[in-house]
Amino acid sequence: MNLAWKEMKKNKVRFLILGSIIFLVSFLTFMISGLANGLSQDNAAFIKDLPQGQFYMAEDADGTFNLSRIDSDLQQEVIRKEKEAVAFSMQMGFLNDQDDKQQSVAFVTSTASTLFSTVYQGEVILDSSLQDKGIQVGDILTNNQYNGKFIVKGFVAQKKYSHAPVAYISEEAYEEMYRVKDKQLIYVPNSEPQNFKGLQAYSNKEFLNTIPSYNAEQLSLNMIIWFLVVISGLLFAIFFYMMNVQKIGLYGILKAIGVKTSKLFNMIWTQMVIITVVSLVLSISLSQLVNLVSPKEMPFSLTISTCVFSDWLYRSYVVRATD
Amino acid sequence: MTLFTIDKVRKTFKNGEVEEEILKGINLSLKEGEITALVGASGSGKSTLLTIAAGLQSATDGQVLFEDQNLTTMNTEQIRKLRASKFGFVFQFSHLVPFLTVEEQLLLMLDIAESPLKKHEQQSEVHRLLQLVGMAHRKAAYPAVLSGGEKQRVAIARAIIHQPKVLFADEPTASLDSQRSQEIMQLLSELTTTLNITTLMVTHDEEMLAYADRMIKISDGAVLSNTLY
Repeated sequence: MNLAWKEMKKNKVRFLILGSIIFLVSFLTFMISGLANGLSQDNAAFIKDLPQGQFYMAEDADGTFNLSRIDSDLQQEVIRKEKEAVAFSMQMGFLNDQDDKQQSVAFVTSTASTLFSTVYQGEVILDSSLQDKGIQVGDILTNNQYNGKFIVKGFVAQKKYSHAPVAYISEEAYEEMYRVKDKQLIYVPNSEPQNFKGLQAYSNKEFLNTIPSYNAEQLSLNMIIWFLVVISGLLFAIFFYMMNVQKIGLYGILKAIGVKTSKLFNMIWTQMVIITVVSLVLSISLSQLVNLVSPKEMPFSLTISTCVFSDWLYRSYVVRATD
Repeated sequence: MTLFTIDKVRKTFKNGEVEEEILKGINLSLKEGEITALVGASGSGKSTLLTIAAGLQSATDGQVLFEDQNLTTMNTEQIRKLRASKFGFVFQFSHLVPFLTVEEQLLLMLDIAESPLKKHEQQSEVHRLLQLVGMAHRKAAYPAVLSGGEKQRVAIARAIIHQPKVLFADEPTASLDSQRSQEIMQLLSELTTTLNITTLMVTHDEEMLAYADRMIKISDGAVLSNTLY
């Protein structure tokens, strides 16, 4: 006889309340995780989407890439040694569209590499978010620090930096706009840190943490998420514990008349697993629906791996609560 | 014929530094088909004796023998199996499973006792027993809607549906009024006699002794008298 299911059928309201609490708390956690991931992508997708490798910046820049200057001799030395290495620079700036409307962008220029879009003098390749703002291939864009004009050659998906779309421009254009020949960074994909005189190596994660806005934003959001995870864990444990404590008398009687202890555990486990799985499936589905229908301007990104990790975390809470 | 023997059973509890002796070497035997009433003042040790006899807790010393088996040397699983198949229990407050219907309470007991009956045979057996205790018309009801007397009838049916050899009843009428108590004891007495079930019953209600074949008076952890009616 399936005691777990019979009890759930009889006490629908009690289990519904417990399930809704798990659903609401996990939904809130998924939403905040989605927003944190979304903001993180919006802030540094351009860096985050690069494969694991090493970033090098000038040692005297003291971890602030805006201050880093790597002269061309050193660049050449690294590129000669590491065939896949690429030197690049980033600066925030503006592009004026054909209606003279200013668009905030992050200008990026680099040496030849398959990891970065190749652009020639007078061309620009933009992040696709600018397409939603009415910019099309072939449009002419201008910048007040650049004497020439930029023709939009194409768009790339999900290339953002500091909440602004990336604009790939040629080395010549960058040099003219910012009056600097040296590059700020060298990136070597799929490699271990090496010693180059005057350069400091950073892993992808370490480099992300040198971006001040990224670090501060992620720290606050992660603190909220982990706070929520701990609070929801405590809530789950308390509710499941209370629910079972109320039934200790019943378990005693069932054991007295000969029910196996394993059958009682099975009953408790089945109920906890059914409630948790149903609530988590509902909250994951709803948060994925929010992911689909949320406006494009809202930075929201909830990957399956985040959901699976949270799901595992919540179920491990259930295991602890029933132990 | 002796079915159940309690031999020099002692039970002590540690209360802080003090060791209290609840049962002081009890000897008694239950004859097959007999209703034995355990009487005595509160705290005399009668409920402790009942739980030790039923294998719900162990004795500090002494032996509990049922048929040819010694409960004191059995492991937990062996005792559980014995309780599930050979013993029946009626408690003071019926203690029915709140989320099962009357019919399901009895089916659960057959399930616990690993009854060899097929599903339809189990249902007929449940129906037959519910008719015996006068509860067939309420087989779909949950315990919450039953009166105290009705609950005890169902509890009795649950205790005997798997045809146990021994029935342990701990103050089965204590939560009922006088008229309901008489009805329940009448029912219990008739059923155990018909089905030849040996009964060990704890009671402090002297009126219930009229249904007993033997009365064992316990005082301060020892047998004061053993009277056969």
